[in-house]
Amino acid sequence: MKAVFLLQWRRFYRKPLLVLAMFGLTVIFVSVTAAGGQSGPQMIPVYADKSMNNQQAQTWIERLNGGEQFQFELMSESEARSYVAEGDVSQAVNLLEADYRLLVGREDPARFALDSFLRRIYSEELRLENAEQTTPGIRSEMESALSEPALTLSVESLQGEEDSFQYNGQLQLLFGMTLFFVIYTIMFSLVRIVDEKRTGTWSRMIISPVRKWQMYLGHLGYSFLIGFSQITLIFLLFRFAFGFELGDRFWLLIAIAACYTFSIVALGLLIISLITKPQQLGAVIPIVATGMAMVGGAFWPIELVTNEILLAVSKALPITYGLQALTSVAVYGNGLQAVAIPLLLLLGFGSICMAIAIRLMEWRSAS
Amino acid sequence: MLETQQLTKKFKDTIAVDDVSLVLRQGESVGLLGPNGAGKSTAIAMISTLMKPSSGDVKLNGKSVLKKPGEMRRVLGVVPQKIALYEELSAYENLKFFGRLYGLSGNELEQRIDYVLELVGLADRKKELVKNYSGGMQRRVNLAAAMMHEPEVLIMDEPTVGIDPQSRNHLLETIRKLNQDEGMTVLYTSHYMEEVEKLCDRVYIMDHGKVIAEGTKEELKAILSDQETVLIDFDQNYPELFTKLSEIEGVQQATAEEHSLKLIIPKGTRLLAALFHEAERYGAQVVNVNVQTPTLEDVFLRLTGRKLRD
Ligand SMILES: Nc1ncnc2c1ncn2[C@@H]1O[C@H](COP(=O)(O)OP(=O)(O)OP(=O)(O)O)[C@@H](O)[C@H]1O
Ligand SMILES: [Mg+2]
Repeated sequence: MKAVFLLQWRRFYRKPLLVLAMFGLTVIFVSVTAAGGQSGPQMIPVYADKSMNNQQAQTWIERLNGGEQFQFELMSESEARSYVAEGDVSQAVNLLEADYRLLVGREDPARFALDSFLRRIYSEELRLENAEQTTPGIRSEMESALSEPALTLSVESLQGEEDSFQYNGQLQLLFGMTLFFVIYTIMFSLVRIVDEKRTGTWSRMIISPVRKWQMYLGHLGYSFLIGFSQITLIFLLFRFAFGFELGDRFWLLIAIAACYTFSIVALGLLIISLITKPQQLGAVIPIVATGMAMVGGAFWPIELVTNEILLAVSKALPITYGLQALTSVAVYGNGLQAVAIPLLLLLGFGSICMAIAIRLMEWRSAS
Repeated sequence: MLETQQLTKKFKDTIAVDDVSLVLRQGESVGLLGPNGAGKSTAIAMISTLMKPSSGDVKLNGKSVLKKPGEMRRVLGVVPQKIALYEELSAYENLKFFGRLYGLSGNELEQRIDYVLELVGLADRKKELVKNYSGGMQRRVNLAAAMMHEPEVLIMDEPTVGIDPQSRNHLLETIRKLNQDEGMTVLYTSHYMEEVEKLCDRVYIMDHGKVIAEGTKEELKAILSDQETVLIDFDQNYPELFTKLSEIEGVQQATAEEHSLKLIIPKGTRLLAALFHEAERYGAQVVNVNVQTPTLEDVFLRLTGRKLRD
């Protein structure tokens, strides 16, 4: 087993490009995209529609600035447009009387959060106006409450969750991209097994005294370690070199990374046991990786997904639990107890995949 | 020391190996001949415990290896038909890995690597990546990898396919030395009759999964001892004439090549009169007539009705 394991590192040393590319892509994606909203709330330019007077617009700005995540600034339309055009911000808001429009310059995961935030504030306001028509005077009663935006946030949540949804764009991006790109690293490492079967080095090993489980373990051990190292290095890099705030339970993040890596290694093994042609794998792996990442919340927070089917599917994906656990620890500051269930789910998912994969392979080689 | 008993392998729609019984004695060098698809590689896969037979048995020193492959895996070296190496690694790194698979380490491993590299004549280029080697050099590493653990029995599946004459001679010479000087037992598979004639004491001929003949070279040639081979060269190709000639009474086997025709006939057949008579009728010019005693190639042709190579 040791020989097979060590050989994989030798091969990595000789052909490191793919893994380095995945590492590099993660770093570039996260650092470039996160650079926009380095620290503090994100500035959002706001311009009012002509139908609104300045007074009304100011009132809206105050309402909007109740949240912590965004800093809304009123300005003229041309100013706001030039902000977006020059790429200083990814989006601006156009206030209408009973509605709003988003001016989007470039894709930013924060857009979903912004949109949902605006929707909430607006629907609240409109409800209030409706109420006012039947019960005059209710506004003045509510006014004080509305000027206490923190209260508004916790009372009204679109998702109806107990915890209010905290969105940390930086960490969402870091965790999402890290867990996404590492799928490639892990699965393409496992493709080596398929390649060895094709080139005949696998047969050479089989007819040597090395046992088959040792061969698998050598490969799986390598794939696990290369994936795990990638995640760990990226977390270390962003925490210490880029100064990301990852909470004070770093070891727990690493433990989550290990469980997630295990589940992806197992899933990868299952995939290569189902699909045995290297060319097909070259197509299937990106589809699986991207699909899982989209549905599982690596590209935008899963909290913004409302489609029942997608939500149900996401429950079957390891990346969902990985992200959930990482966010829980780093953003909400939770401890091991809070993430025990996602971790167990990851381990369980991995074990099941592994068991099926081994059965399949044995059955195949026996026939 | 190694034998197969009624070894059979059935795939969905073919019987690749059919009731094959081979014997390899200690220190012997045995050839396994057969055209494409004869079942040679499949037989080797079963002997080397890579594939389970549909029926029959493989025995090493009298003990079946099917349930307990361990001993076989220690003493057997296999040179696969396809080059099976890690291309992105150097020859040295490949050999190191294959040595480790057999539990070699440290000094012992290094010495063994040096030895096999010397053996295949690549000692001075061991640091180069396998993918940058020529086909012949890759073949040599392919052999070296099977030699790392000093196998007692070496099975080679067409080790000289697609390699230059120089590498080929080097390889054959190496194998001959291993067999004669070091007493290694060798099973050698090839399409090339000359190689087998040169290397092997005994030969099995396979076709369509079956062993159709076996024996020493002399025994096999004796099959054709009452026959002779006539090679006739013409000035050009005459398809109709060739057909006509192959129908002459007594001709047992006829093979046409571009300008020549090869006939196997019983000794004493009066062929020449008929030959010149027919040639005259077709206006063909006979350039050369050569009467030979049969080669193993002819034996093969006679037995299978086919040539070894297409
Ligand atoms: N895995 C397999 N599945 C189905 N059929 C197979 C398989 N392996 C070999 N065969 C068939 O078994 C027959 C024997 O193949 P084999 O490779 O043993 O021949 P060979 O004598 O080594 O030929 P060659 O000289 O071309 O290497 C062929 O008809 C081949 O198509
Ligand atoms: Mg073959």
